Amino acid sequence: MSETPAAKPPEEPKGPGLCGQFLKDHGIATNRLPDSCGVETIEIDGAHLEAAMKLLRGSSEIKLDYLVAVSGVDSADTFDSVYQLWSYTNNNELIIKVRVKKTDVVEGQLPLVPSLSRFWSAANWHERETYDLVGIRYYGHPYLRRILNVWDWDGHPLRRDYKQLVDSLNDKAPGSFR
Amino acid sequence: MRNGAEILKLGTLTITWWCIIFGAVWIACYLVGVAIPMLLSSYDSDAARITAETCRALTPILSVLVFIPINAMFMVLFERRGLAIFTVRLGPNRVGPDGYLQTAADAVKLLFKEDITPHGADAFMFTLAPIVFFAPSIFGAMPLLAAVTNYHELFQIVNLPTGIFFILAASSVPVVGIVMGGWASNNKYSLVGGLRSAAQAISYEIPLVLSLVTICLLAGSLDVVEIMKQQAGGILNWNILGGGALRGLDSALALKFSNSAPALQELSAKSFDQVLKTAYSDPAAAALGLVAGQDSMATIASIIAVVVLMACVLIAAGLYMTGACAEINRIPFDLPEAESELVSGYNTEYSGIKFAIFFLAEFTNLFVVASIFVVMFLGGGDCPVPAWLGNMLGGPQMASAINQVLSPLIAIKFVDPPTLFAAIWVILKVYGIVFFAVLVRGTLPRFRIDQLMDFGWKRLIPLSLIVFVLVVFAREFVNVHVGS
Amino acid sequence: MATDTEVDLTPRLKTDEMLINMGPQHPATHGVLRLILTLDGEIVRHTEPILGHLHRAQEWQGQNRTWFQYQALIDRVDYLSGMFTSWAMARAAEVVDGCEVPERAEYLRVMVSEMNRITSHLLWLGTYLIDLGAMFGFPFYPFREREKLLELFEEIAGQRMMFNYIRIGGVMRNPKDAWLSKLKKFTEEFPDRVDEYEAIVTENPIFLKRTKGIGILRKELGMDYGITGPSIRASGVNIDLRRTKPYSVYPKLKFDVPVNDRDGDTFDRYIFRIREMRQSNEIIKQCLDMLPQGEISGKKQIAGLRVKAGEGFAAVESPRGTLGCYIISNGSDRAYRIKWRNPSFCNLSILPELLKNHPIADVMAIFGSIDVILPDVDR
Repeated sequence: MSETPAAKPPEEPKGPGLCGQFLKDHGIATNRLPDSCGVETIEIDGAHLEAAMKLLRGSSEIKLDYLVAVSGVDSADTFDSVYQLWSYTNNNELIIKVRVKKTDVVEGQLPLVPSLSRFWSAANWHERETYDLVGIRYYGHPYLRRILNVWDWDGHPLRRDYKQLVDSLNDKAPGSFR
Repeated sequence: MRNGAEILKLGTLTITWWCIIFGAVWIACYLVGVAIPMLLSSYDSDAARITAETCRALTPILSVLVFIPINAMFMVLFERRGLAIFTVRLGPNRVGPDGYLQTAADAVKLLFKEDITPHGADAFMFTLAPIVFFAPSIFGAMPLLAAVTNYHELFQIVNLPTGIFFILAASSVPVVGIVMGGWASNNKYSLVGGLRSAAQAISYEIPLVLSLVTICLLAGSLDVVEIMKQQAGGILNWNILGGGALRGLDSALALKFSNSAPALQELSAKSFDQVLKTAYSDPAAAALGLVAGQDSMATIASIIAVVVLMACVLIAAGLYMTGACAEINRIPFDLPEAESELVSGYNTEYSGIKFAIFFLAEFTNLFVVASIFVVMFLGGGDCPVPAWLGNMLGGPQMASAINQVLSPLIAIKFVDPPTLFAAIWVILKVYGIVFFAVLVRGTLPRFRIDQLMDFGWKRLIPLSLIVFVLVVFAREFVNVHVGS
Repeated sequence: MATDTEVDLTPRLKTDEMLINMGPQHPATHGVLRLILTLDGEIVRHTEPILGHLHRAQEWQGQNRTWFQYQALIDRVDYLSGMFTSWAMARAAEVVDGCEVPERAEYLRVMVSEMNRITSHLLWLGTYLIDLGAMFGFPFYPFREREKLLELFEEIAGQRMMFNYIRIGGVMRNPKDAWLSKLKKFTEEFPDRVDEYEAIVTENPIFLKRTKGIGILRKELGMDYGITGPSIRASGVNIDLRRTKPYSVYPKLKFDVPVNDRDGDTFDRYIFRIREMRQSNEIIKQCLDMLPQGEISGKKQIAGLRVKAGEGFAAVESPRGTLGCYIISNGSDRAYRIKWRNPSFCNLSILPELLKNHPIADVMAIFGSIDVILPDVDR
């Protein structure tokens, strides 16, 4: 259960793809990851996420204006916030990952990733869900509350180290108000 | 006819239940109204006489009290089976033979359910609400009894000179019960349901009353028995076809098709056209067409008036049906209990016997408004076949044959043929209307509350006023019932 | 209330907003959605949906069940269109795994999922009319046809709703000839049935009054919220994955996607679903004609089924919109991470915007029109 995704055979480093190049032209550094099933995948620093998203969404040639999903992944040594971007008008696709190293996360706190929901309503509920299940705190989110679990649930179930308290379904979990 | 079998089943079920209802009510009335006084008449004492008179006076109340629960039970079943046919289902068919006892079982279930008063509810009001809702449907229907029994002597006591006025007054009371129930439940959905009901009842009572006022105006009376009697003599005399505007046609046809010698003589004296002409050249119309006393102009004016009158009365009938549907909260006007918005509206918190009373009252109200429609528009207990047509079809022979069969019962005063026939016709007509209501329920979605108000205030009320005014003028040019 | 131009002489009437809890036990919330409505009179000013009453930890189960076990579970994600959830995961796993799907299997997938689309829309049609208050009459007619399709499903998959028919690599079972001819017969009579629905609903004046101009979804707003499916096509956005990102054998089939030319209201969303049913029927007909012979699965259906390491996202066009599945596999017999992108979840997020300033009676008319399935929202 705890094994990490098997390391892929090392690929030759590719140049930046369409979107990576576009972002580079606008002064945002990206790190190209191996394509996931033929879709360009880039890693981006959390600080540049919002600017990059605004550029990608607003530009007329890229026009990645359809935020399909925001997923959180508890990888081996990072927390990934993964954004699937599509376009309503053309066939561009892009996967953006924001990675927060587990060693950077302060003990007892959640990894921090900037929120997109200020300018992209589609991100709102997806970010809440990721916060709820994976425990990534999206700062700047207007209403970051648990969405699928009850409000006083302990822990984040999709974390690899999550252990469900034995009594958490019987209203006897320590700290439960019920 | 894929569901012919189902329709047949519904037919047999209906006839069986009618027999049960009729039997129960008839026997109860006979025992209290006829048998006991007859027995007591052999004792010559004041006490016996007083008892006998009391029994006779109580007969109408007793008949209603016996009739309403059984009838409501059947109506629920009728509606469920009818809807099932419209919606390609089978409906309840398990309890008793082919589901005949389904609603009886439901009633028993409701009676034995726990009677819950929600926390925070006003217990007194909460209990009072179903009673206030139900009671008017009992006493409000009383004057109708005199009409639907063809003014039988036992029921003369409940007739009022201002019958329809009383009925309308009584039928506007239940809304108080709904508001009361909605408020006392301590539930926001119930409260909204109750308030909606009040708003709706106020809006839709106006077209309802105006349409009935139109008919009263046409009849010149508020007395339901009087209105019913005026319509006697077949479908052409009924108020829904102009309230006697076609009586001239009726009498002309009667002359044409009658076989009796004096009538033939009369026909030879006056031709068919002449009968028509005399019927449709009212003095007032003649005055209008008075351009040098032209008879033909008078006739034309009169005929135009007849057409206008008939159209108006038909519209009034439609208005009445619409208003009545809204008054008793049936689809498409079931806003107070709109399930998809208000859970169940004012009766959300009710259970057990109180809910049963609400349920009972709802169906009784449907029956009452249908009876009002029958009495006011469809001639009450009148046979729709005109006498002249009935004679041709062998009506008198049939009637006498039936009298022959029933003669032993008539002898002990168990059956009074005019009352029996009137009651049968009334039941047939009322269930025709109920069937129509079921059909509507099976077809239409529901209005939104503001659209409902729009429809009521901006469409129905102006329309009913226009109809009213038109009738006022049109009846001046036509020989309607009054004054003949 | 006095307006600004008048002098207000009376003490101001104090009006308060009222909070109403709609659900989770409410007959019209299609399951267990809870809406906290802030009402000003009967006008909704603010809505807060509370989800999660049906949360069954589907993503967690994906990580803790083998692929083979999990296949059987995911039909429950969206119980009205189980074929699509199966297909989304199967596609994602196939994309990651790189396995080939036989052509016959692809045709069968298209066929059963279009059937499933019809059943889903039929159920929506019936329940939507119930939402509008036609409690007894019409809602049963769509169920008549749905029943026929469910019987066909039962015959081919052994289940009426939880099919587990589309598997990673192919489909589960080959249909018999009798099944195909029954389906053909159904497709021939189905357009007449749709005509029947339209005859009773489309021109019903009360229906029109309740739906026209209600809950208008602006195109830009819908795109901002990531709305997909018939709801957004009725508002003029041409996104139908079957055409815009073609998958399976859809490129070989002839059909066109109806797209509205204006911002759609509730009525448009109704009429576009009706059109989609007719279109699905045509697709099934074509598939029946073009169905090739051959294998039905490119991967051995065994309990120890494995998917090669890698990650990928695949989506299908479900009756409610883009149903996506993001899979990270590490080559073992279970997924490392499965993320569902559920159309109902994303479409529901726009509900507060749509309800704003509508009377409470329209809440259900609008909520029903975006066709949300609560298990699909809560997973």
